[in-house]
Amino acid sequence: MMSLPARLGALSPYLQACGPLKALLPRAVNTEVLMKPALCGHFGARLAHTDIKIPDFSDYRRIEVLDAEKSSQESSNARRTFSYLVTGSTAVVGVYAAKTVVTQFVSSMSASADVLALSKIEIKLSDIPEGKNMTFKWRGKPLFVRHRTEKEIAAEQNVDLSELRDPQHDRDRVTNPTWVIVIGVCTHLGCVPIANAGEYGGYYCPCHGSHYDASGRIRKGPAPLNLEVPYYEFPDEDTVIVG
Amino acid sequence: HLKPTEIQRFQRTSRQSAVVVVHTVDKMVASMWRISGAVNRAFGRAGYPLLLSLRRGQASVSYAQSLLGAPETRLTTLSNGLRIASEETNQATCTVGLWIGCGSRYESEKNNGAGFFLEHMAFKGTKKHPQSALEKAVESMGAHLSAYTSREHTAYYMKTLAKDLPKAVELLAEVVQSSSLSEADIEQQRNVVLRELEEVQGSLQDVCLDLLHATAFQGTPLGHSVLGPSANARTLTRNDLVEYISSHYKAPRMVLATAGGVNHDELVALAKQHFSGISFEYEGDAVPVLSPCRFTGSEIRMRDDALPLAHIAIAVEGAGAANPDIVPLMVANSIIGSYDITFGGGKHLSSRLARLAAELNLCHSFQAFHSSYNDTGLLGIYFVTDKHKIEDMMHWAQNAWMNLCTTVTESDVARAKNALKASLVGQLNGTTPVCDDIGRHILNYGRRIPLAEWDARIEGVTPRIVRDVCSKYIYDKCPAVSAVGPIEQLPDYNRMRSAMYWLRF
Repeated sequence: MMSLPARLGALSPYLQACGPLKALLPRAVNTEVLMKPALCGHFGARLAHTDIKIPDFSDYRRIEVLDAEKSSQESSNARRTFSYLVTGSTAVVGVYAAKTVVTQFVSSMSASADVLALSKIEIKLSDIPEGKNMTFKWRGKPLFVRHRTEKEIAAEQNVDLSELRDPQHDRDRVTNPTWVIVIGVCTHLGCVPIANAGEYGGYYCPCHGSHYDASGRIRKGPAPLNLEVPYYEFPDEDTVIVG
Repeated sequence: HLKPTEIQRFQRTSRQSAVVVVHTVDKMVASMWRISGAVNRAFGRAGYPLLLSLRRGQASVSYAQSLLGAPETRLTTLSNGLRIASEETNQATCTVGLWIGCGSRYESEKNNGAGFFLEHMAFKGTKKHPQSALEKAVESMGAHLSAYTSREHTAYYMKTLAKDLPKAVELLAEVVQSSSLSEADIEQQRNVVLRELEEVQGSLQDVCLDLLHATAFQGTPLGHSVLGPSANARTLTRNDLVEYISSHYKAPRMVLATAGGVNHDELVALAKQHFSGISFEYEGDAVPVLSPCRFTGSEIRMRDDALPLAHIAIAVEGAGAANPDIVPLMVANSIIGSYDITFGGGKHLSSRLARLAAELNLCHSFQAFHSSYNDTGLLGIYFVTDKHKIEDMMHWAQNAWMNLCTTVTESDVARAKNALKASLVGQLNGTTPVCDDIGRHILNYGRRIPLAEWDARIEGVTPRIVRDVCSKYIYDKCPAVSAVGPIEQLPDYNRMRSAMYWLRF
């Protein structure tokens, strides 16, 4: 698109063949010089609409329309396609960039790295001797990591499921039978059970007398469910990452 | 192959009802005409509406008779290439003239305006008849001698009694071949031309359309105005005019056309007598060749808040005169039609845009036009409106274009075809329009297209064809816009460009 603004001016005094020059002079200083026709065009007033010269926009034209003697119809499709392609791809790229920027700003409001770091806990298993239960603070709750003995493992695996209030076999509750990892919150009313206590060799909740076994299952007492087993994995022999 | 007409002119009568297709003649004076339909004519004569009358025979000539009744145009070519065409009807008067295939398109920047200047010099006397003698000769016959110059045609013609044909042909031959072009007259005419340039500034319609051509065909000869710049009016010399004549007034590019009570053979004999001397050879064999003209989607804004109304024209590249697409485009323009605030139809006008213009007070007038040249054209809408309605009017005008490309219906096309046929017949109301028609047709197509052929071509237009052809020329194309007056409200070019397509899926 090439646009040209022009101003309409008052024309009549000037539309004469260099006639009224004399009348415009307050005092004829050197009339001969000033009467020369060459000075007619130097007033700067545009005389008629036919005097408007459309500037040469060749510097801005595309190559296909530089030649004034060639119809612009043939190239019109190609030019339009090019323009639309460029616009379209810029739009796609722009939308993607906008989406990225917005996502970055919005996701800055989500949990920060230090908070996220708290969501996982890495435990060195060699610190826990056999038979011992260690408690860690994880996500604001106590986490029990118990290193079970062979006897305990065998005992738990042989328990008859019909005895259990919340029937779950031991293998469904542990990945590696040596290690029991449960959240230490009693499923009754939320107290923290005591390790290595109770009649079943597991945990005992002192608040209302719930007895859990070495697999964290409820055996006796008011609690309805077994102790919750969180997600954990063993990246190697010696560590476990919970969460 | 089809060679339809490029230009139609219509007589403005005192009664105007459904206005139909308008094409511009880019003459320097009075470019636009409008027609009242044939129905209107019946109003005047019969005294009661023709359509309501069950007695069909009331019209003096039926449409079918108009088509076939016109005598065939006879065409002869002289040995030097001059073509002679005449339509003989039994009338006491005739129009005889010379139509020459030259105009401002053949001029360069340096001699732009030479043709127009020459037209002024034409009646200043010839070698045999000095000015007063020429005037006396014409006046004593009671004849009218006129001329016009347009971008591609120049015409010198005389309206006279049929019996004065020999004298008329003789005078015309002199005017064209041996105009005296005296230095004194040239100097005197400079002022007249400048005066005329000044006067044209008042006709904002001409200014607007000239600027439209200047911007649409920028850098090409079609961008030149017929009048030429004022600098050229001051500096053109006798040599320039003589050179112009010797380069362009050649016999193969001329047509001697006549309409009225003339005999073709008599005319040929007269032509042989007076026009055999016109040369058909060019100096140095330099035959001027018309190269194509590039159209540029662009705009020109001439803002002047002191003017009362804004004159705006928007156009896309149209079809050349010999292009078969002309007929569907004429029908399309007929669908949009034209409008003037003095129309009494109001919301019952047939054109949708006219209805909107009347109901929403969108404009003072608008018309759809199609100026076609040898190989290109301008298809557009010109409107005059108040400065607060420009945006709305532009929106609805482009909306009308979009409707043409997408939703034009059977009834629209049927109505437009009827209106177009009526206007084609109705404009040939006199020896002069007929003669002009003949002259231009021969120059454009090499033959006269008879009305029956027009009728057949128009009949073959269907809504699908209108949609396809309009989409080809209008849909998603860059328009050229020219605006004069208090045009602050005219939208930015990019917005007008965006209105050239619809987002439809």
